[in-house]
Amino acid sequence: MTPLGADLDAFWSGLVTGSDGISMIERFPVDDLRVGRGGEIKKLRPLPHTRHTGCRATQLLLAAAQDLLARAVISAVPERVAVVLGTALGGVEQLERALARGGRPRHAAGALYDSPAHALAHRLGARGPVLTVGTACAAGATALGIGADLLRADAADVVIAGGYDGLCRFVMRGFDALRSLTRERVRPFDRRRSGLLLGEAAALVLMTRDDGKGGPKLGRLLGHASASDGSHIAAPDPNGRGLEFAVRAALDEAAVTPADVDFVSAHGTGTPLNDRIEAEVLRRTLGRRASAIPVNSIKGALGHSMGAAAALEAIMCLLASREGVVPHTLGLEEPDPACDLDHVVGFPRATRPRVSLSTSLGFGGCNAALVLEGAET
Amino acid sequence: MTVSLESRSAAARPTNPTPPTGTTVEAVAVLTGWGHGIRALPADAARAAAGRAVIPLLRPVLEGERFRRATRECLLGVAAVDALLRESNIGRDTIRGSATALIYVTGAAYGASNQAFVVAESLRQTRTEGGLSEKRPGSVVAESMRQASSEGGLTEKRAGSVVAESTRQASSEGGLTEKRAGSVASSGTLHFPYTAPSAMAGEVAIEFGLTGPYGILIGGAAATIDALWQATRLLAGGRCERALVLAVETFEECAALYARGRWLVRRPLVEAAACALLVPGALRARYDAPRAPSMLETLARVRAGETLACAPLIALALARDGGTAGSVSVTGEWRGRRAGLHWQ
Repeated sequence: MTPLGADLDAFWSGLVTGSDGISMIERFPVDDLRVGRGGEIKKLRPLPHTRHTGCRATQLLLAAAQDLLARAVISAVPERVAVVLGTALGGVEQLERALARGGRPRHAAGALYDSPAHALAHRLGARGPVLTVGTACAAGATALGIGADLLRADAADVVIAGGYDGLCRFVMRGFDALRSLTRERVRPFDRRRSGLLLGEAAALVLMTRDDGKGGPKLGRLLGHASASDGSHIAAPDPNGRGLEFAVRAALDEAAVTPADVDFVSAHGTGTPLNDRIEAEVLRRTLGRRASAIPVNSIKGALGHSMGAAAALEAIMCLLASREGVVPHTLGLEEPDPACDLDHVVGFPRATRPRVSLSTSLGFGGCNAALVLEGAET
Repeated sequence: MTVSLESRSAAARPTNPTPPTGTTVEAVAVLTGWGHGIRALPADAARAAAGRAVIPLLRPVLEGERFRRATRECLLGVAAVDALLRESNIGRDTIRGSATALIYVTGAAYGASNQAFVVAESLRQTRTEGGLSEKRPGSVVAESMRQASSEGGLTEKRAGSVVAESTRQASSEGGLTEKRAGSVASSGTLHFPYTAPSAMAGEVAIEFGLTGPYGILIGGAAATIDALWQATRLLAGGRCERALVLAVETFEECAALYARGRWLVRRPLVEAAACALLVPGALRARYDAPRAPSMLETLARVRAGETLACAPLIALALARDGGTAGSVSVTGEWRGRRAGLHWQ
């Protein structure tokens, strides 16, 4: 579920055709905010059994699950099915409602951070581990990593992993106050970049052990790692220490070298600081190969979907492998020399990456990296 | 769509010639509303609570401008790690750097900052919609204060919280002025970065210079078992040399909300901050989903009350206090799911 469309196909076609998912926010008042635009999903039809909750995050998740179940089958007993989700906001919109005058108990029930994950597990009939990862905007990546750990530890046979976050006034107001939102378009790695825009999304993958069973696979998660900056609550470490640690550790776990990496899906928020730091880290970790590896960011098209972002980007990496096309970075027209990398500018690039690196950063000094491999076609 | 896990690179992954496969809990520190350490716990928390719904934990006094805006959760997290280091005679330099993993857990992630921000936002909206007067007390502040007070949550005495502060401003002089509402709103805005659970772990990482593997799990006691398991995996895989598992639970600011939460039926809710340090050792850890609580889970609840994510760490502290050095089983339950970790 993304602002580009209600399923995986719409997400992918929107990326490669350069669709812009950014629009004026209509679901809640934004008149008093500096910036009232974002990646809002306009056509979310709540499933019948979710209407009563009114929880946007849960509705997004369940809609994504519906698309997932149309493409894959959960072939495990309920006790062996785990749910691992990343989020930056959890059910915070429900908290606002619960605290409002006349707030009802049902709002309080959904106000905890992990309520949407439990709602999804209930919907799927999953009775294995249910974990909610709270590493802010890096949470989707860490969720996939923990999902892999659960499988490796034989704590589950199937893991539904991913991330989600809905747009709400709480987060719009907060980022607006921080002056992080741009009044222009989102331009990752562009010399004119001036900030990010928020978006909403839910992204799920079904993970199993690679035992040759089941249907066709989209790809493999080779390695993952996370690290803290220990530097600042709301800004990345100026030297990108945590991100560098995460990238090196993920490559190490995947047993790949920079020479093996064919594509980088960058966090690429479009903020001046993030993009410069991230580019420097990629140059340091990938060495001479950095200038020859295609790099993109999908946040120009979707906005920053917070807890869902890394999961969406992981899916995009695997789709790029399957389709033989790397989507371009929407909004990037004049690459910043300070972010000197092989950016995919203007139009999609015809290439079939085998191994991809995906990077993520988040509030509180959270960093995560994934190394993915597309299924052989 | 299916993402399968690879097996090729798992086989090809470089292996340590003598991989550390076991772990040991080297130290545990516990702060609760009952006091500092395990010895402060009553024999029966329910009886000691004497009907009180929430047993608060005082806001620690930490020096430094950086802590001025930090919420009570942040301060408690820093205080718990600091207590662990002091009680175990471990220097700060020992844990500084990328060789120490930090995994933070909380179930009640909505603390002072979230409520303060929501309250301030509501005030801002009210002001935008046409000003405030005594006859328009329909703000979230007044309502949440009324609810909290009626249920024994907030009092003037516990004015350490931002909520209490903003509420007092709102109500003490018989209504809000626009000027006053503005100041409350801007103070709430300053707290926005602290509304993310990652701010708590972030403050701890900054304070102790932790730049290694990092995780944040949201949930009650079962999530802490997951966190302990993650720590053992990081250690066993050689990804770190030591791992801190930290849990913080605060309830006071959102007492009214939790009173309505159907999962939080056990009383008393006892605020707590607890931290365990794991290092490579001889004991292997087994992670499972037991149906019944371990003796330690039951004991921790009887002694400490409902401490959500802190409970398994309190259980570990009780085990150590009881002289248990060998195999230990800790379990934790949250929203119908029980997880267990067994060192053998």
